[in-house]
Amino acid sequence: MHNLGTVFRFEVARTLKKKSFWIVSLLFPIGIGAIAGVIYFSNKATSDASKDTAKQQFSFEIFDESHEVAPEIVKAFKGKEVVSVEQGVSDVEGGKVDAFFHYPKDISKDHVKVYGKDVGLFDNSRYESVAKLLLSQSVAATVSTNVSTVLSDKVNVDSTTYKDGKTYDGFQEMIVPAVFLVLFYIMIATFGNQMLNATTEEKENRVIEMILTTIETRALIVGKIFSLIVLGFIQMLIVLTPVVVGYIFLHDKLSLPSFDLSHLVFNWPRIGIGFLLFAVSFIMFTGLLVAIGAAAPTAKEAGSFFGVVMILIFGPLYAVTLFVSSPDSGIVQFLSYFPFTAPIPLLLRNAVGNLEYWQAGISLVILVVTAAIVMALGIRAFRYGALEYSRRLTLKEILGRK
Amino acid sequence: MKREIITIDGFGMSFGDVSVIDNLSFTVKRGETFGLLGSNGSGKTTTLRSLLGIYVPTRGKLFVDGRPYHVDGGVKLGYLPEERGLYKKENVIDVMTYFGELKGMPRQAAHDGSMKFLERVDLADKAKTRLDKLSGGQQQKVQLGVTILDEPELLILDEPTKGFDPVNRKLLMDIIEEHQARGATVIFVSHQMEEVERLCDRIILLKDGKAAAYGTVKEVRKKFDGKSLDQIFLEVYGQKAERDNA
Repeated sequence: MHNLGTVFRFEVARTLKKKSFWIVSLLFPIGIGAIAGVIYFSNKATSDASKDTAKQQFSFEIFDESHEVAPEIVKAFKGKEVVSVEQGVSDVEGGKVDAFFHYPKDISKDHVKVYGKDVGLFDNSRYESVAKLLLSQSVAATVSTNVSTVLSDKVNVDSTTYKDGKTYDGFQEMIVPAVFLVLFYIMIATFGNQMLNATTEEKENRVIEMILTTIETRALIVGKIFSLIVLGFIQMLIVLTPVVVGYIFLHDKLSLPSFDLSHLVFNWPRIGIGFLLFAVSFIMFTGLLVAIGAAAPTAKEAGSFFGVVMILIFGPLYAVTLFVSSPDSGIVQFLSYFPFTAPIPLLLRNAVGNLEYWQAGISLVILVVTAAIVMALGIRAFRYGALEYSRRLTLKEILGRK
Repeated sequence: MKREIITIDGFGMSFGDVSVIDNLSFTVKRGETFGLLGSNGSGKTTTLRSLLGIYVPTRGKLFVDGRPYHVDGGVKLGYLPEERGLYKKENVIDVMTYFGELKGMPRQAAHDGSMKFLERVDLADKAKTRLDKLSGGQQQKVQLGVTILDEPELLILDEPTKGFDPVNRKLLMDIIEEHQARGATVIFVSHQMEEVERLCDRIILLKDGKAAAYGTVKEVRKKFDGKSLDQIFLEVYGQKAERDNA
């Protein structure tokens, strides 16, 4: 294994030199940036248009059968009351006023009718806004501020919950452990294909015989796996750094929700379990993808298995509510202990706090054993499938060779 | 130190029900140049792959320096396989340095040695070029460079002149002779009999996975009434052709 460092350095260096690595890595933050840009300019355009609309003066009349609209409010908006619906509609049709609002007797059942002169698809909405504003301001003026706040659903609530006699914020506590779930998802999704193709290059380039007579297979495969793990972390940093920096500096402009990190709760045992689950799961899937690549003669052939692996990893996401609400159900238990589906359920359950320590311990042992087995299989597959340029090895052949 | 660096004893190899090597035995002495001859499909490459542990032999013993070959077994090996290839998307110098390091050379020594070889074969200006941008012959030179970079004590060359023009063939022969001169053991697979006669001390001629002739070039020629190796080759395989035609 003395060549481990050489393999590791070579693999990392040559991957970092590849344009495709940087393109794939930067695609995500660029995509996020593009979406954020669209949101920003869309928000800005909407805001500007709303301000313009608010500034725009238009003449209007109302006919109020509900008697909820206060005449002084109508007057403040420079509107006028008319005596019939027909008159109001006629005044709009004749161009005497820009808009007419008819408030029916029973607003809870019947619709408020708005008639207006066409000023464009977007600007036509100003009539409806003013019609609602007249009504809401009139009603608000008749009740207390508290009632008005309740009715407008603007009541703010601060909750304090207790667990074992101490204050406990489950949401704040799940954030840090949940980061590992997000990291696992991003790293497998963006780097999985590279893992799969890590060993097919030696076969496709016919360099395998020189490699096998120069370096121990185990050193080559383990070196490649280590390099993939480090490259995965580098890629994750490339992906996340612009996203985090962009969030910090632009979240106000993009109308993104603010997170008050000062209230984060650090549950160290759960964070530790989350890290271990993430690390072992990542190593296991790296080993599995490398093993598949080693058993297949070409990258194309190996690629046909990629979808199956992705379904195994990310399929459990469809049962996400089950992992939170029914952690003891049979399906959740199965998905949590079957090694190839376990990472997402385990990381999620650990984040929400329904994964017991003993369950985490058993799961970690299963994942470590599976990781060791798939790595050993990968080494054997590479070793014995070395000169299989046109067909893939079967599991029986991999296991059957002496 | 044993006189034989390679010992093959009772070697047999089958792929499924098809036997390709049958009870083959021979030795290669330390410091000699040994020719492994035979027509296509006679079992030369299978023998070399089995000797180097790439294939698992069906029967027999194949030893390098007294034991089955292992990369960390203490024998400095340079192997130029029949199936040529390197990391095509990497620079020439990076790949050569990488292999030099894998063979145990310090990084700087591997780099300097690679540059020295590239200068010798007129490829110094291609050091930073991607391998897939080189011609087939240039790639082959680079692969030869990788093979001999650490001055191996056992040099196994499986059809090294395949694809070379006469000028580069001469260059290759000169390089092999230099390694002979410094005492390396060379196993040489070729269909070019004049090269074999020029370079080899002893030969084995394989036919259908068996030894049709084995010994020094002089002994083999004497056995076949003083005929040249070309004529011997034709005679051995001509019989097969006649039998096939009958």
